Order: sequence, then C-alpha cells, then structure tokens
Amino acid sequence: MQIIENNLLKEKVYIEKLTSGITLICIPKEKTTKKYIVCGIGYGSNDNHFYIPKENREVKIPDGVAHFLEHKMFEQENGVNSLDVLSSLGIDANAYTTNDHTAYLFECTDNFYKGLDELLNYIQNPYFTDQNVEKERGIIAQEINMYDDEAESKVYINAMKALYQKNPIQIDIAGSVQSINNITKEILYDTYNNFYVPANMVIVVSGEFKPQEIFKEIKSRITMNNKLEAKKIEEKEPQEITQKEIEAQMDISMPIFTFGFKVNPDEKEKVKRALAIEILLEILIGQSSELYEDLYENGEIFSDILSSFEWSNNYAHVLLQGKSNNIDTIEKKIIQKIQQLKEKGIDEKQFERAKRKIYGIYVKEFNEVSECALLFLTNYFRQINPFEYLENYKIISKEYTESILKEVFDENKMVKSVINPN
Amino acid sequence: MDYIKENIKDGVNLHLIINDNFKTDYTVIFLTVPLEKETVTQNALIPAVLKRGCSKYDNFKKITEELEMMYGAFLECGVDKEGDNLILKFFIESINDNFLPEKNNNIIKSIDMLINIVFNPILENGKFKENYINTEKQNLELLINTQKDDKDQYAYEKCINIMYKDTGFGLNKYGSIESLNKINSENLYEHYKNLINDSKIDIFISGNINKEEIINQIKDNQFIKSLKPREGKINENHYKKELKQKIENAQEKIEEMDVSQGKLVIGLDILPNDLGDFRFIAILYNAIFGDGVNSKLFQIVREKESLAYTAKSLYINKKNNIFIKCGIEISKYEKTVNLIKQLLEDMKNGNFTEEDLQVAKEYIIAGINCIEAEQDTQIIFLFGQELSNLHLTVEEYKKNIEEVKHEDIVKLANLIQLNTIYFLRNGGKNADN
Repeated sequence: MQIIENNLLKEKVYIEKLTSGITLICIPKEKTTKKYIVCGIGYGSNDNHFYIPKENREVKIPDGVAHFLEHKMFEQENGVNSLDVLSSLGIDANAYTTNDHTAYLFECTDNFYKGLDELLNYIQNPYFTDQNVEKERGIIAQEINMYDDEAESKVYINAMKALYQKNPIQIDIAGSVQSINNITKEILYDTYNNFYVPANMVIVVSGEFKPQEIFKEIKSRITMNNKLEAKKIEEKEPQEITQKEIEAQMDISMPIFTFGFKVNPDEKEKVKRALAIEILLEILIGQSSELYEDLYENGEIFSDILSSFEWSNNYAHVLLQGKSNNIDTIEKKIIQKIQQLKEKGIDEKQFERAKRKIYGIYVKEFNEVSECALLFLTNYFRQINPFEYLENYKIISKEYTESILKEVFDENKMVKSVINPN
Repeated sequence: MDYIKENIKDGVNLHLIINDNFKTDYTVIFLTVPLEKETVTQNALIPAVLKRGCSKYDNFKKITEELEMMYGAFLECGVDKEGDNLILKFFIESINDNFLPEKNNNIIKSIDMLINIVFNPILENGKFKENYINTEKQNLELLINTQKDDKDQYAYEKCINIMYKDTGFGLNKYGSIESLNKINSENLYEHYKNLINDSKIDIFISGNINKEEIINQIKDNQFIKSLKPREGKINENHYKKELKQKIENAQEKIEEMDVSQGKLVIGLDILPNDLGDFRFIAILYNAIFGDGVNSKLFQIVREKESLAYTAKSLYINKKNNIFIKCGIEISKYEKTVNLIKQLLEDMKNGNFTEEDLQVAKEYIIAGINCIEAEQDTQIIFLFGQELSNLHLTVEEYKKNIEEVKHEDIVKLANLIQLNTIYFLRNGGKNADN
C-alpha cells in the first residue's frame, strides 16, 4: 500500500493496486458522519471506436452508448433496480458519464456495507434485455430534450465543434434522440464486456474508514477478473481548430457566448501547466482584473465571465463563458489584454493574489467526502494525484506562468461560439 | 458541534456554530423582512449595490483583491424568498488559518469585511453612489428579463405566481421593472436606512473558531454597536399560519415558448386540519408520492411509463403546498396529468404499503443525518428554525418522523387538493414530434 500525504492540508491518502488491476484509494476523514464511495470505469462517451485483438474485430458504436450503459447498469435480473434498493436503505446513490470515464457512487451515514454489497453487485452483474433497453430510450430521450432547452449546453457543445475536428468531445455525452435508437442490448453487452474490467477500474472511498479494513471489504466483493483486451481507436486530432466562429439561435433573452482556446494536451508537467493556466485566467478575467472591472463598469457584462481549463489525456482547452449584448467588444478586449500581458509581463502583486486564490479553491475541495473523492477519481484518469497541485503551488514562478501564457493563449487557436435570441 | 445563540440587542442575534471538521469558516449576515410588492425591488437591489463597495473598500476591485489575499475567500450577496418573507443574505466562506501556509487571521478579516459591506456603505453626498446605482439597476433589469431563459425554474415560479398572484410568496424575488424604474440613489438610500433599522438581523459564524474572541469582536464592532434595538417583525413563517380555501376545480394554464420539452408544474394545497403538527406527515406523504427514486411519481411516470427524465415533488412547509415538477414530451401532456391525478387518488385510498412508508422514513432520516456534515446546510437548518420559531433538535426531528403512521398519511392525503396545473409547451408547427 502506498501512502501519500500533504502537511498543509493535514490529509493522508492510501492507495493500493490489486493484482487483478483494480486501484483502490482511501481518503480517511474523521469527525464526519458521511461516507462516500465512487467506482470509476475508464470508459466514457469519447470511446466510440475500438479494436478487439483476439477476435480481430473493429467496433464502431452509436453515440451515447457509455451514457446508456450507465443508465442500464442499475437493472437487475431479479427485476429490481439497484438505485431503488440503495435509496430504500437511506443511501443517496447516483451515476454519471463524462468524456473519458463513467462513475457509480453513493453517499450515506448508515448502511454503508449493505450499500457496498449492492454497488459492487450491480457493477459486476449487468442485465440487459430488449424490453428494458427499449424502456430506457424514452427516459434518455427526455434527458436529451431537457438539455436541448438549455442554451448553456448548446453553446458549449458548439464550442467543442469549433475547436475539434476529429475528437468525439464534440458529440453530446448522451448522444442524440436518433443515435440512441440504434443502441441494442448486444451493443451494451459488447461494450460492457470489453471495458468494465478490473484493469480499467478505480474505487475511491472517503469518510471514517480504516484503509486496511475497507480495502479488505472491497476485495472480498470483487468477482470479475477478465483482462483488458480492447484497444481504443482514436483518430489523431490536428492542432488546428475547425472554425473560428459558430452561431445558433434559441428562445433566450440575451446572447450567450463561449470563447475557447485549443491547447495541446500531451505535454510534460501537466499539473504545473494546469496551475499556471488557472492563475492566468484569474489575472486575465478574474473578479479583480482590470478587464473585468472595465467590462462591468461599462455595462458590457452583468455577471462573471466563468473561466475554466478542461483537460484529459487526449484533449485540452480553455473556456470563457458569459452573457452579453456586446460579445464582439468583449472578444476584442480579451485579445487586446492577452497581447498586452504577453508584451508587458504579469504584475507581481496580481500573480501572488491569483496564486493565493487558486490555493484556497484546492483546499476547499477537501472539505467534504464527496468532493475530495471525486477530485482523486478525476485526477486518477489523468494519471496524477491532486496533492501535486499544492506541491507545485510552492514552486511555480511568474516566469514559468508567462511562458505558458505565450504558448496557450494563441489567437489562431481561439474560437467563438454564440447563441443569439431568435 | 456546539451551537450558541447570543442576543446582541432586540431583533439582532449572533449564532455561533463551533466545529472542527471543516477546512473553511462561514460568516453570514441575514436581514429578513416581509415580502411585499412595494419594497421587494428595492430590497433585491440593495445587496448588489452594497457588494460594489463600502467605506473601507470603496470599489469592487479592492474588495476582491482583499478576498484574494485571504487565500481566495468567497463573497456572495443576494436575496432569497422564504415563504412570505424576503431574506437579504451576505456571506463569506474563507479557509481556516490551520490550513494556510501562514497565519492570516482569515476569520477576523472575514467578519470585519462583511460587517463593513452590510453596515458601512460608501456614500456620495449623503446617498448611494450614482454610478453604482445605475449599473446595478441595469443589471437587475437584465436579470429580471433573462429569468425566462431557465425554462424549468420559470415554469415553477410561474405556477407559484398564478396561485398567489402579486402578494407575498407569489412575488418575484427580484421585483419588477416597473418599480425598478422609480428607484434612484436617494430613495434607495432612504430605504436602506429603514432596512438596517427595522429588519430582523441574524449573524451566523461557523467553523473552528474561538467563541470568546468572536463574540467580543462582534459586540465591540462600532457598526454593530450603533444598531438600534428593533422589533424585527417578519411574516409568520410556518405551516400553522397558512389556511387554504377549498376549491371545486383546479385552474389550468398553458403557455407557449420555443421549447423541445414540455415543463409541467402542478400546485397542490394542504387544507386546514386537526392533525396537529402535520409537517412530518406531509414530509413523508411527499416522499412516498414524489420525492426520490422510490416515490410513486418517479416509479410510474418515469420508470414504468418512460414519460419523463425528471419527475419529482417538493413540499413547501411554510405555505402548505406541494409542487409536482416533470419535464415531459409535449404530446404526452394529458396522459401525464391523468396519471398524476390517479396517483393522487391512490394516495387518498391508502394504496401504498408499510414498506413504502418505511423506505420513505429511511430516506428522510438519511437526509437529516447529513445536516451536520455540511457547513452551509447546518446554517440553513438553524436559520430556518429561527425564522419559524419552531425549534427542534436533529434527534427530535427524527423522532417525529419515526412516529408517523400509515393512517396519518391517508388522512393528510384526503386533505390535499389540486390547485393549479401549469404547462409550458412549444407552439405551432414543431409540436408533437
């Protein structure tokens, strides 16, 4: 068992990789009544194309399979739904699908081990029938329709279309009402059997646990032992964006925008770079920045511009999102500001403030069992441990951050996605 | 966890929640006033104006620079509707010094800053700064105009508004454009002075804090000292107040917008009764009927009939209402409404099992058990009790839930009436795909 710790946070984390390939992570938290567990599978909506060597078979599946699979995993052969079972134990259970992983989780104060039985049972024993697949189509179609009414979802996915030429991140995680029509129980089983395997799985727990004990309990409930054979097929993503601008119309009252910068994902020093980008976003457009003050005082924006750096192993981009009647002005001013920062460098005081703010955001993530477990899960799939952020916090320099500014904020790799009122 | 309530002066209370299981501390100031058409817009504008600057930090940039120096302390100011009252809330979440690379007195700084923001605004010629008022008026207008962009929330608020019209709970918490146009820096400052003199004030501090130090800091603060004692009158904020009239037929309202999915909201009333403190019965009725994945609504409307992705109900104890919310295919409106009516009838006829009741109890108690595990939830729980003046410990709360019987729920089910059915759908040619 590996133990990692951070003295500032006063947290220790225990990690064990089992011979079957499953990784177990425990973040013990005393003095909390809540217990949290999440099981992550390294299979997400982007993985729609793969090859199975032993059968010499290449598989392309419809959009939305990973998410459909997530919905259907709860169904059991005896007719019960595991979500109902967990809920009736007073356990708050859920699941979600991202571009690169799928997660099954629950949170509770009592009945943790009964919940653990149920969780590991349903993840290891799928039960798909023509009938239960058919039933789910209607529910997922309503989920897709719900997101169709949200301008924020539309402006985001359009930004992905403008940024990426090949990467499937430009496809909605849930697929479309049309694509889910082509999903069958055979496709679900095929995908499940190839990717829901120990080597592709991580389990993170947080709460009042003794690491050895909880790991033993988890191990005793693992029955699956198949190997990871399938190879994901990814088309190489060009460095260039697809298009500079993308626009759509919806029934909204004020235009909304997302600006995106395409970033090269396969870099060394992933954590240090992510930290530098987050600091830069604060300096560029954070609440204490000159640009934010200018835009706000001039009535060009009326709420924050949300900025984020999203990245995994095969994509990375910076996003700036907001609402405004003067999107072109904002775009112009952002480009000007980036240029100015590149030329004049970053102000020392501003750098220190931004750094401190980012520090606080990381510490807060360790407040609750759910947040810190998910932090470890997400970063597991990026092959890093979250303590690295705080370790890099100590050493990151203004000069390094300035070099990242020049590399990442490239106007040629900037896109603009806008939804206008119709 | 230790909870201490200290009366500073009439109508002004300090609530300390001392715990050592979080990395953050919370400083919160709540100003509570009756929700009234005449004042709601001014009240909604005040937090936005105060956030712009105070005498100590005269603009927002200075405030945020100070927050950043406190290792990313987070400030939020806004309004919330709680039954027939409006709450102006101001809070700062900051990292506890134990988790900083150096001692920074974060909690002392947070308290000082929040008190300055609320009670020591920046003035210009004896009134609010003209340019702050102008920008914030414009922003509030945009906020009101863009409310309809969130279709789910819009449909819910619309249903409430149809039921209560322009009084109390029926009002938009942001007020109206019409009233906004009449506001200027002078009359808003006059209103602010009345607000500070009359509102019920509750200050919450939660975290790993030194009790004596904090109490002294608050009591010795010049702005707290200069507050006048007040009655702090608010609208009664609990279930006993609300007496519903029996109605024969529910009203139905259909509105059209460009949506892919229909948003159905149904408002139910709980009629006056002699069941005593029936909140706990209503919580369990709601859990069996429509809250959570084991509820009838979720199981039938979503899982069995595949009519919806979201299907849930919400109990508003202060108003004796239950609201049902579903996102459905537009062509399935009548089918869904009929199905829901049938489910309500089933509840009246006692068509649910002891096991359903047990599951609902587990579900609710699990939620109660989490209250102390979340810093903000705990503040909301204690403040809710302060407003309703109905005080129960978490243990008493659980006991009340445990004691509810099947027959109690059937009795309550027969006191529930349909008040309003609201449906937001698309119009014209694209309907019914």
